[in-house]
Amino acid sequence: MPIELNINGDTITLEIDPRTPLLDVLRDRQRLTGAKAVCREGFCGACTVHVDGQPVPSCLRPVGMLQGCRIVTVEGLAPSGTLNRVQQAFIDHDVVQCGMCFPGMVMTLTEFLDREPSPSRDQIKTALVGNICRCTGYERIIDAVLSMQTEAAK
Amino acid sequence: MDACHFRCAEGQAFEKGHFEREQTRTCALFDKTGAAESIDCSLFISGAAKMTAQNGFGQILSPLSVDEALAAMAHGAVPIAGATWVMRAPLRHEPLPGQLLSLSGLNDLHDLTIDTKCASLGAMTTHDKLAVALAPHADLSGLAAAAGNSANPGIRRVATLGGNIATSAFAASDLAPALLAADATVILATASGQKALPMETFLASRAGLGHGGLILRVEIPRSPRNAAHARLPMRKAGDYPCAIVSISVSVLAGMIADIRIAVGAVEPTARRWTALEDRLIGTAYDPARAEAEARKLTDGFTAREAIDAPGWYRLSVLPVLLRRAFLKLQAGV
Ligand SMILES: Cc1cc2nc3c(=O)[nH]c(=O)nc-3n(C[C@H](O)[C@H](O)[C@H](O)COP(=O)(O)OP(=O)(O)OC[C@H]3O[C@@H](n4cnc5c(N)ncnc54)[C@H](O)[C@@H]3O)c2cc1C
Ligand code: FES
Ligand code: FES
Repeated sequence: MPIELNINGDTITLEIDPRTPLLDVLRDRQRLTGAKAVCREGFCGACTVHVDGQPVPSCLRPVGMLQGCRIVTVEGLAPSGTLNRVQQAFIDHDVVQCGMCFPGMVMTLTEFLDREPSPSRDQIKTALVGNICRCTGYERIIDAVLSMQTEAAK
Repeated sequence: MDACHFRCAEGQAFEKGHFEREQTRTCALFDKTGAAESIDCSLFISGAAKMTAQNGFGQILSPLSVDEALAAMAHGAVPIAGATWVMRAPLRHEPLPGQLLSLSGLNDLHDLTIDTKCASLGAMTTHDKLAVALAPHADLSGLAAAAGNSANPGIRRVATLGGNIATSAFAASDLAPALLAADATVILATASGQKALPMETFLASRAGLGHGGLILRVEIPRSPRNAAHARLPMRKAGDYPCAIVSISVSVLAGMIADIRIAVGAVEPTARRWTALEDRLIGTAYDPARAEAEARKLTDGFTAREAIDAPGWYRLSVLPVLLRRAFLKLQAGV
């Protein structure tokens, strides 16, 4: 049976094994390569996307369970050619190193900041428990997020 | 194309068990290095779907009633809830079951009610929902902490109560010891009718449930006890715990009147630490003394040797975790 998915506002129909991880559909079928395949076991968060507004690991979500859900990837967070405020803060603060973890970080933090607009340093760390970065040491990421509050208050 | 034709960039052949796991990784290597001449280019184009299609598409059934679900299970369909365990089958070198059965459409399994007598927690309740709903209740706050600190936020949004406790191969469940300490009962639907199994009996029998039992909900009798959960992951958070202590205790005039202590992640299955409960009941509520008593009784466990920690380490941290659990409650008892 064809599977209908709503990805970044577009409805697509796929003849595909319903057990296929969403991550593989995004990357291999849709060429949405923002979500990264790193651990494929739910530990690293590099594959995080929003499903019905919730950041979840796309490597463990079979597409057959996602019909009727709203899927948003890092490519769909802001209109084409623009950045959302988390992406912009990462650039402004020169946070990104290899970049492998960043699409996942952006997805997690975008939802987190919608829920918790003025988080403490510890709250940001807790929110990022499922997003592993092997390059940055995290502190600059957290500084960038905290700076968004300072800039918003100006 | 046969699995053994596949080689990664290092030239390592894939065995059947690796097949599904490595297929996209293989494609990625192919993409990056161009080194895998033996791979059919169309595999790179269509990734996982194409590969699975060669063995026929799998199926995900979506029953709308428990009876329908049981009928499909009788024919070999495997239930999936959050799918966070099932989808990792290829990493465990197990085949992904051909016929899966999504429990999402079974409304009763999503129910969660807490009244003065009982907390009834539907099997499809996710870890994050459990954590939020149970946190305000002192007798349920051990289970709330277990659900709210397990795994990582993304997994907690998806992984369910039913999926967590059904998995007999998973030793490090946070929920299992917390449910043992809470005197939980598991309500199952089976072909021969509903069954209510005390958590301990459920844990002992679940491997044999096979395709026969669907967890509907877990019931916890409300109690005047206070509960706490102490776990030790290898990283500060976001990792499996190598040892867990869950307690549920009532204290009268500084003395322990009633106590449950459950240990997880140390042996293959969580269990109550009754020898220690017997030792502590009727004594003063004293975290340091509890730790000292625990240290005398750890040789009652046969600890798991596993990649995250050796058995001796799990045993050596147990008494410390007990003290931490006691300390969490000290202000309130
Ligand atoms: C990165 C990561 C970290 C983790 N860390 C922790 C941790 O720290 N602590 C912890 O406790 N857990 C941890 N887990 C395990 C996680 O909790 C389990 O993967 C999860 O609980 C399984 O739930 P699920 O709903 O996804 O189950 P599924 O994968 O859907 O199912 C798991 C098993 O249960 C069966 N099943 C599911 N629902 C039912 C039902 N209602 N009746 C009968 N059988 C059923 C399925 O057939 C399958 O065999 C972690 C997982 C990941 C991926
Ligand atoms: S690739 Fe999905 S969590 Fe790591
Ligand atoms: S920047 Fe390299 S992993 Fe995070």
